Amino acid sequence: MQERYAYYPGCLASLSQKELDSSTRAIAKKLEIELIEMPSVTCCGAGDIHEAKPDYYLHISARILGQAEQSGCDTILTICNVCTLNLRQANMALKEDAAVLNRVNDNLREVGAATYQGGVDVRHLLWEVSAGEGYERFKSIAVKSLEGLKVAPFYGCQILRPAKILGFEDSDRPESLERLIRACGAEPIDYPAKVKCCGFPIVLAREDVALGELVQPLEQAMDAGADVMVTPCPLCHLSLDAWQRKAAAFSGREFGIPILHLAQLLGAAAGIEESELKFKRHVTRLSPSVQAKLQVPSVVGTKV
Amino acid sequence: MATIENAHFTTLKGAYDTETMEATVKVRRFNPETGKSRFDTFIVTIPVTATVLDALDAIKDTCDGTLSYRKSCRMSVCGSCGMRVDGGAALACKVPMRKFVEAGHTITVSPMGNLPVIKDLVVDMTPFWDKIRAIKPYLDTKNADTPAKEWRINPADTALIHKESLCILCGCCVSECISMESDPDFLGPAALAKAYRFVGDARDKDTRERLRDLSGAHGIWDCTRCYFCNQRCPKGVDPRDAIAKLGAESFKEGFTSDAGAKHAKVFVDSTFKGGYLRETELVPKTIGPANAIKDIPFALQLARAGKVPNPLSPHKAKDNDEVKRLWKLLEKEAKGQPRRATAVHPDAVQEG
Repeated sequence: MQERYAYYPGCLASLSQKELDSSTRAIAKKLEIELIEMPSVTCCGAGDIHEAKPDYYLHISARILGQAEQSGCDTILTICNVCTLNLRQANMALKEDAAVLNRVNDNLREVGAATYQGGVDVRHLLWEVSAGEGYERFKSIAVKSLEGLKVAPFYGCQILRPAKILGFEDSDRPESLERLIRACGAEPIDYPAKVKCCGFPIVLAREDVALGELVQPLEQAMDAGADVMVTPCPLCHLSLDAWQRKAAAFSGREFGIPILHLAQLLGAAAGIEESELKFKRHVTRLSPSVQAKLQVPSVVGTKV
Repeated sequence: MATIENAHFTTLKGAYDTETMEATVKVRRFNPETGKSRFDTFIVTIPVTATVLDALDAIKDTCDGTLSYRKSCRMSVCGSCGMRVDGGAALACKVPMRKFVEAGHTITVSPMGNLPVIKDLVVDMTPFWDKIRAIKPYLDTKNADTPAKEWRINPADTALIHKESLCILCGCCVSECISMESDPDFLGPAALAKAYRFVGDARDKDTRERLRDLSGAHGIWDCTRCYFCNQRCPKGVDPRDAIAKLGAESFKEGFTSDAGAKHAKVFVDSTFKGGYLRETELVPKTIGPANAIKDIPFALQLARAGKVPNPLSPHKAKDNDEVKRLWKLLEKEAKGQPRRATAVHPDAVQEG
């Protein structure tokens, strides 16, 4: 774990999923890590720009990495699976071929943007707090035990696969979320679809295909007896949370399972308040029993 | 449970040293005559160098001759022995048994997913081949400028389709494809990687027609980017990356009417217009205004939770003129370039 990170919240946490940004800032403060802002960054492209305009994707990624470098940080902290994969993928392509990096830098220079020298790593919050010194530091701030809370970890795809770009842990049998759930005093629930897909990338363009994918983790987590699900990705969160009612209509089954951002779960265990964790910004609201188990101050009383 | 004392190894006789180990293998069985499935557990003695396929051979040779599976080359070339080992598709001949035995772990072998099971570990590959055939897996030169002798291609051109040419049609990627689980008509990773092998071939002259067909229903925009195909491919083909390359080629050819392509275009435009994604434009521009109106009750659910950003004041990053200039520069540069000029993937071939 670093003392300071170039912070890349990405689009969703800055726009529709603001609760993730505020929870992350709150937990970072508790962990005593400094988040350096990068006010000029763009979207990472979410895989869409990579697919539609790969050369442009490479350039905007280099610009983001370059800004982190300019800020004097050697690590970008991400809180989204898709940002993590896209930035790491471009970073790898830029670092492994000097000719590519030179050409990109020439173009960046021509438009007056900062260049990138190849000195930045991109790491997700999950990786930073689930192992090593970061894990120890989290355990020391996890003052509240969320005992009795059954949490289904949902990893999502792009923090696990492809392992040659991500590679933090065994992509078929990951354990980082389980380790953190236990550190919060809660109980991790196991189910096969925890490493599968939420369907979000195609939920607008191919809604039925996406809902068929989304139903799997929701059903399995419910069947395994989970009170809540937790995910390190705001896209997975939006899919599991906001599209949950559509998934229910699609599958003919009631769900009603609250979905937590990773930073919210960590925040609850660290005693952070609702004003920063903002559970009230979820479409699928916390039930009174889950609220009681999460013990978040002032969460009670939100309108459902 | 069946236990055997195995002194000779029919398929391995003399091929390896004789140091052996005892392995436990759980196999999913399916009997087409009764329509019933079950798991059988076998304990076999195999050489320490044995693969999962060798273990299955030992079971079949000395314990249960009715066990059915496909195999041929035993060296990761023919693509016959695709099956799931502990839930993940792999070539049985490429997975060593030793690490499992040393860990005291009983592996579970089951048939590949997304394909109907015929018997035990044998799946019906018909839907797989149908999709391969559907993408016209042959060179179409439209009889143009065919050279009198051999067709010489420069190394840079072959490099563009090198990875996709490595495919051995084993089906491991298809087995794990999540979009195919949800939409069985999706062309899927193997057929699409094969399609790129021809779209990217400098000799092929059917590019536009191919891309038109591939960018429609059940085509490239069905992919949910779960990356299971890249993870499972035993030959380093990286089918998901091939699908992304097809997306880029479709954009170059102007095939952008599919909802998936429109979705991608909003991301592209958002960056040089402001910086971050314009979320409120994403829905109407992807699915069209009429469908967006039908979705208003859903949008209201999101709005109530504060999840709809103000469309009148979209995000504006600092210094975003740089990005606008960058976009213009690259578009200008792309105009002067031949097709197939760009692909961004850390391209080193890594066999899984």
